Amino acid sequence: MARQRKEQEKLETNMSAMIDVVFQLLIFFMLTLKLIEPEGDFNINMPAMGQAPQDSSEPPPLDTKVKLRANADGTLAGVFLGSRPLGNDSDAFKRLNIEILRLIGSPDNPLAEDMAVEIDADYNLHFRHVISAVGACTGRLDPRTQRIVKYIKNIKFKPPQNPAAAG
Amino acid sequence: MAKERSSSAGEIDVDMTPMIDIVFQLIAFFMVINNFEQTQADERVKLPRDALAKPPEVKVEHEITLNIGYLRDQQGERTNPDPFLFNFGGEDMIPPLNSSKALEQEARLYNNREVDPKDVTIKVRADAEVPTGVVQELIKLAQDAGFEKFAMSAMSTSDGQ
Repeated sequence: MARQRKEQEKLETNMSAMIDVVFQLLIFFMLTLKLIEPEGDFNINMPAMGQAPQDSSEPPPLDTKVKLRANADGTLAGVFLGSRPLGNDSDAFKRLNIEILRLIGSPDNPLAEDMAVEIDADYNLHFRHVISAVGACTGRLDPRTQRIVKYIKNIKFKPPQNPAAAG
Repeated sequence: MAKERSSSAGEIDVDMTPMIDIVFQLIAFFMVINNFEQTQADERVKLPRDALAKPPEVKVEHEITLNIGYLRDQQGERTNPDPFLFNFGGEDMIPPLNSSKALEQEARLYNNREVDPKDVTIKVRADAEVPTGVVQELIKLAQDAGFEKFAMSAMSTSDGQ
């Protein structure tokens, strides 16, 4: 009889304390949950001006100039590769992407290592267009494998010219 | 007697096992999905989007984040036409071009820790609508302070828009 009681006591473990703690934990994790969208970076090496070695024996790197012109309100007025206009809509960056591929020949061209793109953007241009231009020059996303096909990774920027400071 | 006992015992002995199972599952789920990393990202910055912006595979060892954005209301309209540098140099918001002292101080801090500022990545988290010139001038200030590596942040998208 005593043994039977003991067994019954053993089975009735008091769960309430554990459940309290577990619910506390659950609520804590639910409240601290912060959903953030994944975010990526474009790495750009920019040594300070004047420190670049001016070695005359080496030929200057083949810089491709990409000009981004802005309207007064900061929206995109036009994308130019060298002096060639590529339009001012969202497809302009797709065209830029295709033109860059044409320049480097093939995605894994070793010559592309020595190539550089200089982005010359207007002072008031919205930053999103610069990111689009950098993206279009660095490569494209393979739709099948979802991997990045690299084009030109050496991106430079033309020093900014503040129209307010100049005028 | 027996009837009363079994009914009262039945009421007390609720089987807790499935509930606890589920609750533990939920806890495990929220723990895994939660990111406890202390990022210096500021929510006021609405980043541009690009398909090529993939999260880095290797974590950068030394990194300074510069959040440049606008003050916006609930509808996303700007309440102040000028961009600000958020959460930097001990200030909540400063005009981006007044940050040279704070940047130099950061460079000094890294020097004191025997880390070359050239090895420190400056992560530029600029709002999609910030004028490019402001970002470039801020990068110039960072270059003057001795930094050389920069990274421009963008949201990852699948369609690139």
